[in-house]
Amino acid sequence: MNKYRTKLIEITNIFLRHWAWVVRFIIIWLLLGLISPTLPRAPLEAQQTVDTTKPMVCVHTRLIDEVYEWKIQRSLQLVREMGATTIVEFFPWAYGEPTHGHYDWASFDRIARQAHNQGLHVIARMGLVPEWARKQTGNPTTLNYLPDDSFQVFSDFVALFAKRYAGTIDQIIIWNEPNLSFEWGYRPVVAADYARLLKTVYAPAHAANPNVMILAAPLAPTLEPPGSPNGLNDLLYLKALYEAGAAPYFDALAMHTYGFTEPPEANSSPTELNFRRAELLHEIMLQYDNPKKPVFITESGWNDNPRWTKAVRPSQRVAYTVNAFQWAENNWPWLDKLCLWVLRYPANTQSYPDNFALITPDFELTPIYYAIQAYARGWEQGKELWLPAPVR
Amino acid sequence: MVTRSRPLNFFAIFTVLTLWMWVLAGVLFWIRWNSVERPSAPVKELFPYGEIRIGVDASYPPFEVATSTDLYGIDIDIGKALGARLKVPVRFINMGYDGLYDSLKADQADILISALTIDYSRSGDVLYTIPYFNGGQVLVTDGQHPLADMNAVSGHSLAFEFGSDANLTARAWLRRIAPFQLMPYETPSIALDSVRLGDSDAALVDATSAGLYMRQHPDWQSQEVVVTDLLYAIAISSKRGATWSAVNEALKSLMDDKTIAAIIKDWL
Repeated sequence: MNKYRTKLIEITNIFLRHWAWVVRFIIIWLLLGLISPTLPRAPLEAQQTVDTTKPMVCVHTRLIDEVYEWKIQRSLQLVREMGATTIVEFFPWAYGEPTHGHYDWASFDRIARQAHNQGLHVIARMGLVPEWARKQTGNPTTLNYLPDDSFQVFSDFVALFAKRYAGTIDQIIIWNEPNLSFEWGYRPVVAADYARLLKTVYAPAHAANPNVMILAAPLAPTLEPPGSPNGLNDLLYLKALYEAGAAPYFDALAMHTYGFTEPPEANSSPTELNFRRAELLHEIMLQYDNPKKPVFITESGWNDNPRWTKAVRPSQRVAYTVNAFQWAENNWPWLDKLCLWVLRYPANTQSYPDNFALITPDFELTPIYYAIQAYARGWEQGKELWLPAPVR
Repeated sequence: MVTRSRPLNFFAIFTVLTLWMWVLAGVLFWIRWNSVERPSAPVKELFPYGEIRIGVDASYPPFEVATSTDLYGIDIDIGKALGARLKVPVRFINMGYDGLYDSLKADQADILISALTIDYSRSGDVLYTIPYFNGGQVLVTDGQHPLADMNAVSGHSLAFEFGSDANLTARAWLRRIAPFQLMPYETPSIALDSVRLGDSDAALVDATSAGLYMRQHPDWQSQEVVVTDLLYAIAISSKRGATWSAVNEALKSLMDDKTIAAIIKDWL
């Protein structure tokens, strides 16, 4: 016992002899901590406004999976600088209500806060089912699987969302491409089922935010025939949706229309997928619905992957995209916003979807970004973008 | 001068001998382990539907393309070769790119062979095999005037496709090394034309575009240097480790005996 006591006294004496050095060491340690790199922050700027001559220009963002808020801020700054007034962003239910009745709004709040700071309007797309609401039946299900008896809990969440972001986010898209099997959680693709979902959501959302606009889900442009395991033709699905009595349960229709390999002016046809397929969808709307009900194209654009069969050359992509905005402006008075897919991915998919992006994950601006910026802000386009082919 | 030998240390000898015995035992065990052909999990267990259901997005030539009646391409041939090696029939399921990974989760497909690159963010849900192709960017120069790598492009001219990934890579390199002349063209093949015809010193294009171009110009002696990697692999659900192991082994054997190289050569 005495041995330990002696040791303790020795250590105490050493400390007393050198306490000044100990204090100095602690101060140096703290000072080093101050100069070490900290996590990048994204303080709000002075309130910004969008400088544009084309308020129809809009872009779909992919911000929800960003880890750092500064990347969200930088993305939204680039949206504003491009001259787009509006973004479409995904707000997954599974993130907002990870367990039943427990909410996590943090990732939603920072997007809403930063978008508002940049003067941007936000259209929210909702979906992605939390595990607790998928009611596993033993068969594996995907994050898009929403069983009938979870419609009400989804509706409850949409109403809470509408109330929380009233005045900031007043347009909400219910689901995405329910005419595709995988987007409908590999359940049979039946328009009447989706009509019931809209009906379940509509009144509670309006009660929560009287100014909310409920957008019916955009349908995937597809020619899948009835009975296909992959999905159903979007024109057939939209008709079926109206025939199932969905019209009173949405305030606007969202659409997806891609140009694929054709220019924006190419004629539409029920047997072809191209940019003007939106006109065929709108004709169905006119047959069944209030002609003044607005339309938002929430995904559109061309892809310039070198080998995807539905892609064009980057040079064509630039021309087609700018011409598409002009076409919509001149010919589609029923259209409110034309949103391009997609501003930027948090990380590359390393496949052709990357060639829909306007900027790279590390914020490198592509030539098409500059072209849209010039169009939206009314700037001169500049000289020829590429060299003539060598001739021998 | 008297020399004294050190007395033998019994414990040192004992330790050395023991270690040697362990090493020997380990080597013998390893030889024996590898010489025994152990039965793999029964096919029924690896592929419960009695076939390999292969998910593809057949819109990506030359890897997979659909006609109204058939599918063809590098990945289709690899899938067939894999089935033959595993002695299990294969069935291709054509779907959109967006649904590929979900189809694994929902048990709609057993494996995906669709020019998929290894995506580490999916490592919780997906296992990838060894890569079978590198589709990254390559620096192509004329064989008479080769450039060793991107550092050597300084002071030369570099052709690429306007707006492509190569365009971005070229801009990035312009910030790293002494200046070089940017030569944007409308397509990768025009960029390669400009090198072949002497208008540019080098072209930066993806490996597949380069391969397709070389097929059309077999007489041109060119040099290719890999600049970026983009590794294509087969994807399998992480819940099916035994299936992954069998597919990975089969793919490895197909690579070892050059079957994969022959398939790729058929197309590129």
